[in-house]
Amino acid sequence: MLALIYFIILAVVAVGCSLCIFFTKHPLYASIAMVTTMLSLAGIYGLLGSPFVGVVQIMVYAGAVMTLLMFIILVLNGSRDTRTKRFDKVSIFVLLSVLAVAALTSIVLCHASFDFNPDTVRGGVDVTAHTLFDVSASGNGYYLLVLAVGLVLLSAMATAVILARKRIASDPENAKLEEVH
Amino acid sequence: MMEFIESKTWIEWLLTIAKLALAFIPVLFILLLIPMERRGAGFIQDRQGPNRSYIKIPFFGKIRAFGWIQNCCDGLKLFFKELYEPKNVHKVLFSLAPAIPFGLTLLTPCVLPYFASLNFTFGDTVVHIPAANVDTDIGILLMFGLSSLSVFGTVLSGWASKSKFPLLGALRATATSISYEVCLGLSMMGMVLLAGTFNVEGIVSWQENHVWGIFVQPVAFFCFLLSAIAETGRPPFDVSEGDPELVAGYHLEYGAMQFGMFYMGEYGHVGINSILMATLFLGGYSIPFMTTADVQANFGGVLAALFGICAFLALAFLHMVYRWLREFNKGKASNKDEINKEYLLYKIIAWVAVPVFIALAIASGLFLHPEATMVNGAPVYGIGTALGTAAVQFLVLMVKTVFFCWVWIWVRWTLPRFRYDQIMHLGWKILLNIALLNLVVTAVIAKLVMGGN
Repeated sequence: MLALIYFIILAVVAVGCSLCIFFTKHPLYASIAMVTTMLSLAGIYGLLGSPFVGVVQIMVYAGAVMTLLMFIILVLNGSRDTRTKRFDKVSIFVLLSVLAVAALTSIVLCHASFDFNPDTVRGGVDVTAHTLFDVSASGNGYYLLVLAVGLVLLSAMATAVILARKRIASDPENAKLEEVH
Repeated sequence: MMEFIESKTWIEWLLTIAKLALAFIPVLFILLLIPMERRGAGFIQDRQGPNRSYIKIPFFGKIRAFGWIQNCCDGLKLFFKELYEPKNVHKVLFSLAPAIPFGLTLLTPCVLPYFASLNFTFGDTVVHIPAANVDTDIGILLMFGLSSLSVFGTVLSGWASKSKFPLLGALRATATSISYEVCLGLSMMGMVLLAGTFNVEGIVSWQENHVWGIFVQPVAFFCFLLSAIAETGRPPFDVSEGDPELVAGYHLEYGAMQFGMFYMGEYGHVGINSILMATLFLGGYSIPFMTTADVQANFGGVLAALFGICAFLALAFLHMVYRWLREFNKGKASNKDEINKEYLLYKIIAWVAVPVFIALAIASGLFLHPEATMVNGAPVYGIGTALGTAAVQFLVLMVKTVFFCWVWIWVRWTLPRFRYDQIMHLGWKILLNIALLNLVVTAVIAKLVMGGN
C-alpha cells in the first residue's frame, strides 16, 4: 500500500517532468526537469528493489551527465528558444507514436496484475556483483560483456582526447577565430 | 496502514523518528566552524580575532563567550536583512539556487552512522535499530550520488545572476568540484574493497575489528583529504572566488539569508566531509582498542574514563584562564574590572564542573555494572546502556570530526592559493593517477592476503 503511494507520487513527478522537457522553451528549465526525472526514476528503481541501479542512475546521469550538459548550456549562453516552433509537420508523427505507445502501455497495464512486492531485492549490490562477476554461478558471459564495455569506453575516451588535441593544435588561426566569436 | 504502524513497537518508532534529528548535525557544525575559523585565523596570524560582541547579564556584566556571541550576531544580522535581488536576474532560478546545496546538506548524511546500531532488551523483546537513517547496502554510493547534485546550485546561481563574475566563478567551481569528485570516489574505493561492503556501518565495524583505515590506506587517505578540501572549494582551492579577479564568485549577487544558505551549505559540506573522513579512515565512532561489545561490557569504566577526561579538560581550561588573567592584570588595560567579572563566570562554571565530573567518574566507575542477557550467544544489555554507549560513541566521532575541521582551517591559513590550471593539473594528472594506482595495488594485495573472488 505504502509502496503504491510512493510509486504514484514518483511516477507523476517523472512523467510530468519529462513532459516539461518537451514543452519548456528554456534549456536550463528543461535540464532541471530532466534531473528531476532522473531522480524520480532512481526512486522508482529503489522501489522495485534495485537500489544499486537507482544510485547509479543518480550518480551517472543526474550527477555527471546532466552536470556536464548544464555546464555546456552555461558556456553557450542559454536563453529562451523563441525561433523553433512548438508544433510543425514532424510533430504529428511524434504525437501519433506517443499515442500508440500510450495505448500499448495501457493495454498491458489493464491485462497485467498491478502489484509488486517492494521487499524482494532484485538488483542489490550483492545480486549485481554475483550476476556480473561470479563466473561459477552465471557463466562468463556477463563478465566478458563488462570487460568489452570497459574497453569501448576507454577507446571512446582516448578518441575524445585525440580529437580535442587535433582541434586545438592543428589550426591556430581557426582557434583564434573561435575565440573571437 | 495499521499494519505498517504495528510492524514496530512504540520504542522502535520513537527512536527511529528521533534519529531523524541526526540529519541536522552537519548544519549545526556551522555553530562550531565559524568561531573556530575566525579565532583560528586569529591564532595563526597572531591576533585576537573577532570577540567583542557581548550579551549583558546581571552580576557578571558583558559575557562574550570567547567570540561565540559574535556568531549569534552575524546569524541574526543575516536573518533580518532584506532579501535583495539585482534588477536583471532570472528570478526563479536565482532564488532556487541557494536552496539546492543547503537542502542536500540535510539529505546527504542520511547514510552516516553516528554510533553503532542499537541492540537492547526492552521488556521481553530484543530491539534492533540501525544507526543510519537510511540503512541500505548501497550506503556510501548514495551519499556520493546525492552530494554530487549540489553542483547544480552553483551552476544555476552563476547563470541566474546574469553577471560575468558569478558566471566565471560558477564555471570554475563546477569544473573543480566535478574533477575532484572523481578522485574522492576512487580514493574511497580502497576502503570499500577492504571492508567488502558499501554500507558505512559495515566499513566502520571492519575498522573496529581489524585496524583503522589510515594505517592500511595511507595514500588513499591523503588523496581523500586533498580532494575533499578541493571539492568543497575552500582555500587553497578557492578559485571560484578571488578578490582581484572574480570578487566573490558565484554568490556575488546574493545577500542576506540567500548568501547565508550558500554559506551554511559550504560549512555543512565541510562538516559532512570531515565526518566522512573520520568515518572512513579514523575508525568512525569506534573507541580505540575497544569494540562496541567491549564498551558495553565495561560501560562503567568507559564512562569513568570519559568523565575523568572531562574533569581534566575543565582543569586545563581553569589553568589557562588563571594564567591569562595573571598576565592581563599585570598590564595597563582600562577595562580590568569588566574582564575580571566576565572571567569570574567562566571560573565558577569550571570550578563547579570539576568536582561534578570527578564525582560522576567515581560513581559510574564504582556503581555502574550493566547486566546482560544472552541472546543467541551474544550479550544484550538494557536500553540505558545501549543509549549511553551510543552517546559515548557519538562524542568520540565528534572529537575526530572536530580535529578534521581544524585541519581544514589550518590548511586554509597555511598554504597559498593555487592557480586554476594548477588545480586541474593536480586533480587530473596527479591525484587521479595516484588514487587509481592505489586502488589497483589494494585490490591485488587484498586478493593475495584475504583470498576470496
